[in-house]
Amino acid sequence: MRQALRTASFQLLPGLAILAGLFLLPLSYFFVVSFWQVRTFRLRPDATLEQYARVFTEYGSTLAWTLAIATLIATVTAAIAFAYAHYCRFRAGRFGDGLIFLSLVTLFGGYLAKIYMWKTILGGTGALNSALMALGLTSGPIPALLFSPFAVIVTLTHYCLPLAILPVYGALRGLDDTAIEAARDLGASGPRIFRDLILAQARGGLTAAFALTLVITAADYVTPLMVGGPSSNMIGLFIQSQFGNRLNSPLGSAMAFVTIACCGLIVLTLSLTLRALTRPRT
Amino acid sequence: MAPLVELVGVGKGYGSATAVHPLSLRIGEGEFVSILGPSGCGKTTLLRMIGGFVTPDEGSILIDGRDVTRKPPEKRATNMVFQGYGLFPHMTVAQNVAYGLRIARVARTERARRVAEALDLIRLADLGDRAVSALSGGQRQRVALARALVMRPRVLLLDEPLSALDLKLRLAMQEEFRRIHAQVGGTFIFVTHDQAEAMSLASRICVMEAGRIVQDGTPEDIYRRPASRFVAGFIGEANLFEGVGSDERVRLSCGTVIPGAGAEGPIVCVVRPEAVTLAADPAALPDQCDARLFATVEDVVFLGPEVRTTLRTDSGAQALALSRTAGPLRPGDRVTMGWATADQQVIAA
Amino acid sequence: MRSMAHIGAALTAIFMLSPLVILVIFCFSESPLLAFPIEGWSLRWFDKAFSDPQFTNAFRNSMIVTGAVGVTSTLTGTLAALALAKLPPRLATATAAALSLPVMVPPLLLGVALLTFYSTWIGLPLGLPAVILSHLVFTQPLVMLMISARMASFDHAAVEAARDLGASPIQSFFHVTLPMIGPSITGGTLIAMALSLDDFLVTFFTIGGGMTLPTLMWGMLRKGIDPSVNVVAVTIMGLSIAATLIGFRLTRYRG
Repeated sequence: MRQALRTASFQLLPGLAILAGLFLLPLSYFFVVSFWQVRTFRLRPDATLEQYARVFTEYGSTLAWTLAIATLIATVTAAIAFAYAHYCRFRAGRFGDGLIFLSLVTLFGGYLAKIYMWKTILGGTGALNSALMALGLTSGPIPALLFSPFAVIVTLTHYCLPLAILPVYGALRGLDDTAIEAARDLGASGPRIFRDLILAQARGGLTAAFALTLVITAADYVTPLMVGGPSSNMIGLFIQSQFGNRLNSPLGSAMAFVTIACCGLIVLTLSLTLRALTRPRT
Repeated sequence: MAPLVELVGVGKGYGSATAVHPLSLRIGEGEFVSILGPSGCGKTTLLRMIGGFVTPDEGSILIDGRDVTRKPPEKRATNMVFQGYGLFPHMTVAQNVAYGLRIARVARTERARRVAEALDLIRLADLGDRAVSALSGGQRQRVALARALVMRPRVLLLDEPLSALDLKLRLAMQEEFRRIHAQVGGTFIFVTHDQAEAMSLASRICVMEAGRIVQDGTPEDIYRRPASRFVAGFIGEANLFEGVGSDERVRLSCGTVIPGAGAEGPIVCVVRPEAVTLAADPAALPDQCDARLFATVEDVVFLGPEVRTTLRTDSGAQALALSRTAGPLRPGDRVTMGWATADQQVIAA
Repeated sequence: MRSMAHIGAALTAIFMLSPLVILVIFCFSESPLLAFPIEGWSLRWFDKAFSDPQFTNAFRNSMIVTGAVGVTSTLTGTLAALALAKLPPRLATATAAALSLPVMVPPLLLGVALLTFYSTWIGLPLGLPAVILSHLVFTQPLVMLMISARMASFDHAAVEAARDLGASPIQSFFHVTLPMIGPSITGGTLIAMALSLDDFLVTFFTIGGGMTLPTLMWGMLRKGIDPSVNVVAVTIMGLSIAATLIGFRLTRYRG
């Protein structure tokens, strides 16, 4: 037993070294940097909350807008993911595996490609406008499709959907058919089964799907840059530019950590709400 | 003659919990020993210590007179049949069986001969090329047995090998084990929680309770002369009458005094249900029934070969009688339970 | 009600798949304009992209990064998964959670944090080695999780049986453990490689002046419409989807 533990700790060593040296340490350092300052283009150690003050005063509305749109995207994505996973698990029969396979195909491969495709699809001469005009639904292209919050929502929902389906489907697969039959046998109606069993079972997966989408969306900058218009400036753009032309890593760090902390709070609220909603009663 | 396997003061604990209290055990060549006990009694830990998978905290283990306490499993003349079988899923049946011989660098022709022999022994000679995933539970069980037997171990260790099989298959496999033990000889140590299995297979049973061997003897010995209340209750069914013993007599808690030599002070009188005769009229009991007790019939169940009568004695104890024929008894009837004191066992409580 | 569900699922599937299908179609379109209807088919964009030295260079860099990340994260992730199987359950859960932390951090944050760490603290020059180190952070947990999932249903008695039959610990690892978890290891590696190949954000901040396929594509997108960007996109997508699918197939992963 002690021998096994010793072997295990040796085997964990490289993995933990990567975690500590390339994740915990850089992130802690980066957090510390958020209390520093940049003076005459040089990074100076300090212990100031000035950057955090700037995040809320100068970028407060951008942050709020980002969190609002990210929450919207995460909600829509989690809802579609749940509906799709539910359909695959309970309704699709033998096609269920194939539909899940389809979401796996679109899982990886082409973060940039997907954003770029939505740009062309939603563009003035793009596939959607051409199709709408060919069908005679509109007389001319709808310019508002691209360079708008709508485009950001569509693109990020598309990007996050396969990532969100997997945890929800995984959770629903853990629920076996006999449990549902037992609930029916005990007198539970359709909506009761949905809340007491299916939603309760999917809670973990649903929270994971929401959290994943929220965090990816809130910190993305490529999508708003490519398909969002001037009205859809998101905090990611400003974080990124602190490391590009503005060279203010303390401010960028403060923005990033405030964004993550806000996402954490939103996820916590959702998780507690879902728990209260699906808590078993006696 | 020196024993083949000898455990001297062997003990093992996990953290603050003791799995096996220091115990000693000697097992001779050719014995078929069963280690019997409820789950969590330490029987599997004991077996795994003999096999080398668990290192004892104290004491030493000798096989063939040599100390193997610190030797890893691959250096021991023991082989094990695991509870979940532990078959290699990426190998065929024959490859599974040949594995140990390959490690031991047994020459190819000799290896093929011994594998064929082992498959023959377990009656799976035609399935050598099958994938193990294509086998039924009983067949997997037999492959696991062949894989261990082909090594010609000095000691074959079996860890609840039949627990995953259904009753019918279990009975068939018990017969197979008896046949194989008779055919190949060798020493078998068999761990089980099923007392019927232990009784039907082993020539010697070690009953374990809470990390200790509480009785070690032949199946008949253990059945007829249980050393404790636990053994009496665990092996077969038993009537346990509490009382006080003194001067070759026992006063049961209902007040009845019956003859019975044994301990002084508080005792338990163990009477097997098949030793009990019931009669509505005490005079109708046969003469050898020198111990008698009044009771009320609670239920009578006809089981085919026997009739099972549950009773309640006047002191409130539950009692059971098995008889070959159903008397004209009905629930509520007053009867006398009678048995021969030669059939009872008095144990200090 | 029933047909509503069917229609909804079909629409979702079309929504997920259509951009990828349209991208593939555009790759073979004669016209430099990305619009329907397609007027003619040709392979000229493939010719143009593949003969571009920038593409060859970025492709080579991507292969170097992906290969190095695949090998290293497989080693460290597999070792970690083997260790987790030996730990007491609660400690194993905690350790696995700690090692998976990087997956929950957005790539942008990881990228800028590593950039700051490399350049202002430890003085590691930006470039391919820095990119490889950075990718290990988020690929290692994936390999570990996929192999851990396999280890959960792993029959430890088979390894004990090998030891019992005379195999040393090393022999039993190579004869029994490795063949049993081998497909999961290959699968985990391929998925780690797919993730590394597709990564743009972390690479962008840690590569300095060089280019991998995604950063090349980004440059092309910023410059304006060059239809051979479709070919770059399809190359990235094709390689990572192929790796993912083979990987999931090998690990028999289902959700």
